[in-house]
Amino acid sequence: MAQNINPHYASSSNPAKQNEDTIKLKDNHAVSKRLQKELMELMRCADKGISAFPESENLFKWIGTINGPQETVYAGHKYKLSLEFPNSYPYAPPMVKFITPCFHPNVDTCGLICLDILKDKWTALYDVRTVLLSIQSLLAEPNTHSPLNQQASYLWPNQPAYKKYLDEFYNKHRDS
Amino acid sequence: MSSTEPSQNKTWELSLYELHRTPQEVITDATEIAVSPRSLHSELMCPICLDMLKKTMTTKECLHRFCNDCIITALRSGNKECPTCRKKLVSKRSLRPDPNFDLLISKIYPSRDEYEAHQERLLTKLSMSHSQASLVNSITEGIKLQSQNRPQRSRKNHDDNSNTSNTNGNTENTQNGGSTSAPKEGATTASNPTPSGQSTSNPASVRSTPSPVPSNISSVSKNTSTTKRAKSILTSERSEESESSDGRTEGENSMDTEGEGEPLNPNEIELVFKPHPTEMTGDNQLMRALRDSSVRYLKTTANASVDHLSKYLAMRLTLDLDAELPEAYRLLNFCIYVAPAPGQFVPLAGSQTLRQINDKFWKVVNKPLEMYYSWKKT
Repeated sequence: MAQNINPHYASSSNPAKQNEDTIKLKDNHAVSKRLQKELMELMRCADKGISAFPESENLFKWIGTINGPQETVYAGHKYKLSLEFPNSYPYAPPMVKFITPCFHPNVDTCGLICLDILKDKWTALYDVRTVLLSIQSLLAEPNTHSPLNQQASYLWPNQPAYKKYLDEFYNKHRDS
Repeated sequence: MSSTEPSQNKTWELSLYELHRTPQEVITDATEIAVSPRSLHSELMCPICLDMLKKTMTTKECLHRFCNDCIITALRSGNKECPTCRKKLVSKRSLRPDPNFDLLISKIYPSRDEYEAHQERLLTKLSMSHSQASLVNSITEGIKLQSQNRPQRSRKNHDDNSNTSNTNGNTENTQNGGSTSAPKEGATTASNPTPSGQSTSNPASVRSTPSPVPSNISSVSKNTSTTKRAKSILTSERSEESESSDGRTEGENSMDTEGEGEPLNPNEIELVFKPHPTEMTGDNQLMRALRDSSVRYLKTTANASVDHLSKYLAMRLTLDLDAELPEAYRLLNFCIYVAPAPGQFVPLAGSQTLRQINDKFWKVVNKPLEMYYSWKKT
C-alpha cells in the first residue's frame, strides 16, 4: 500500500544499480513534487488531443492518451499509453509504451516506441506534455529508415492502403 | 551568431524585435507595475525542478538559468549540453553563479519559505480534488476485504445474536434479493466514462462519489464480482483515476490498528473514532448493535474532510451491521466532534479537513487524533 514507489526501484536487485538507486532515493520527494507540478499544469491548461493522469495513488505511473493527429491516417484514432517514471526523473526519461496496440513504423508489437528524445536525446526539460506531443507528431511523421515494424514501414508510402490496413488493425485491437 | 571574423565585421545580427524595441525608462518615481504572479514565476522558475531558482547558475554561452543542484545533476547524468537549448556544456566551468538573480528573488520573495509553504498548500488543494476519487477507491477496497472476512464474522454474529437473528432473517433476505442491481449503478456513476481529454481540467466535476446509500452497499459486499468490476473500472478508466500521493484510507479494522513499524507519512493522520459519551449511550439502538466494535481506528489522508469521514463511517458501520439493523435505521447520519480537552466536544463542519482539525485542536504528538461520533436519527 505504500505510495510513490518507483516500480523499478521496488523490483531492482541488481547490485550495480543499487548504489545509484540509494543516491536517488532521497530525491524521491523532489521527483513527486515535480510530477505533481506537471499534473497541475496539465490540468490547468489541457492541450487538445493529449491528456495524462496518474494511474492510481502511485504518482510514478501515469496513463496518457493521444488522439491521432488531424489530417493524417491516424485521425479519429485514440491511443492509450503508460508512462513510468524512474527515481532519477527528470534527469532520465520516463518509460513510455503504447497500451492500445499501434500499427506504426516506429512502434513494435509490444508497444515499445523508438524515439530519440525518450533515449539519448532526452533532456530534463521534457515533461509528460512534451513527450506526448512528440509521440503524437511521431504518428504523423514516422521515421521509416529505422523501423521497428517493417510491415508498417513498407506500407507507409502507399497512404490509402496504409489507412485501410490501419483502420482494420485499430478496430480489431482498440478494445484489447 | 556573432561574426566569425570579429575584426572586420563588428555588426550584430539583430532580430526585428531588437531593432525596433525602445529602451525601458528607468522608474524613479513611485510608479508601480503590476506583474501577474504566474508570469513572474515562469521567469524565476528552474525549468528542471519547476521550483523557484535556488543558488542560480547561468550557462556562460546561452545564458539559461538553473538551480545549482539541478544543473549539476543534469550534467552528471545526461548529455553534456544545455538542457534548454542543447548548446554544448563541457563541464561545470561552462556555468557561472548568478548571485544577482538570487538577490532579486530574495527581494521579491523576502520570505521564500512562506512562498514555498503556499505552493505546498496549492498542491495539497490539488490532491484534495482527487481525494474524493481515492475515497471511492479505498471504500471499494475496504468492501473487498470485508467480503473476504464476511463468512467468518457473520457466523460469529449469528452466535452472538442467536435470539435476534430470527426476527431479522426476513429483512436480510428481501434486502439482498431486492437490490442486486444497485452496485452496477454505483459503478457507472463512479466511472462516468467521459474521458474527453479536457475532463482533467476539472476532475472534481467528473468524479462523483457513489452516494453511500447503505442498502446498496450491503448488497455490494455480497457480490464480490461486481465489486471487483467496479474497482477495475476505477483503475483502468483514465478520467477516473485518482492521483493523490497521500490519499489512502485503510478500511478494514484488522488493518487499521497496524502500522506500528511503519513511519507515519506526514500527509496521513491516524485517528480514533469513539461514540459520543452522552449522546451515544447504552440504550441507543445503534450502540447495542455495535457493541464492542464501536471504537474505530483508522489512518487516512490528511486531506479527507469531515464529510468524507461521516460518509465513511455510515458506510462502514452499515456494512458491519447489515444483518442486525432494522430497515428504518439504515440511513445513518453522523455528527462528528473533536475533543480538545476531556469532556469538551466541539462539533465539526463538514468541509473541514483532517489536517485543519489536527492543527487547530490536536496538538498532541504521537497520539492519534480522537474524534467522537453521534448518530442522528433523521
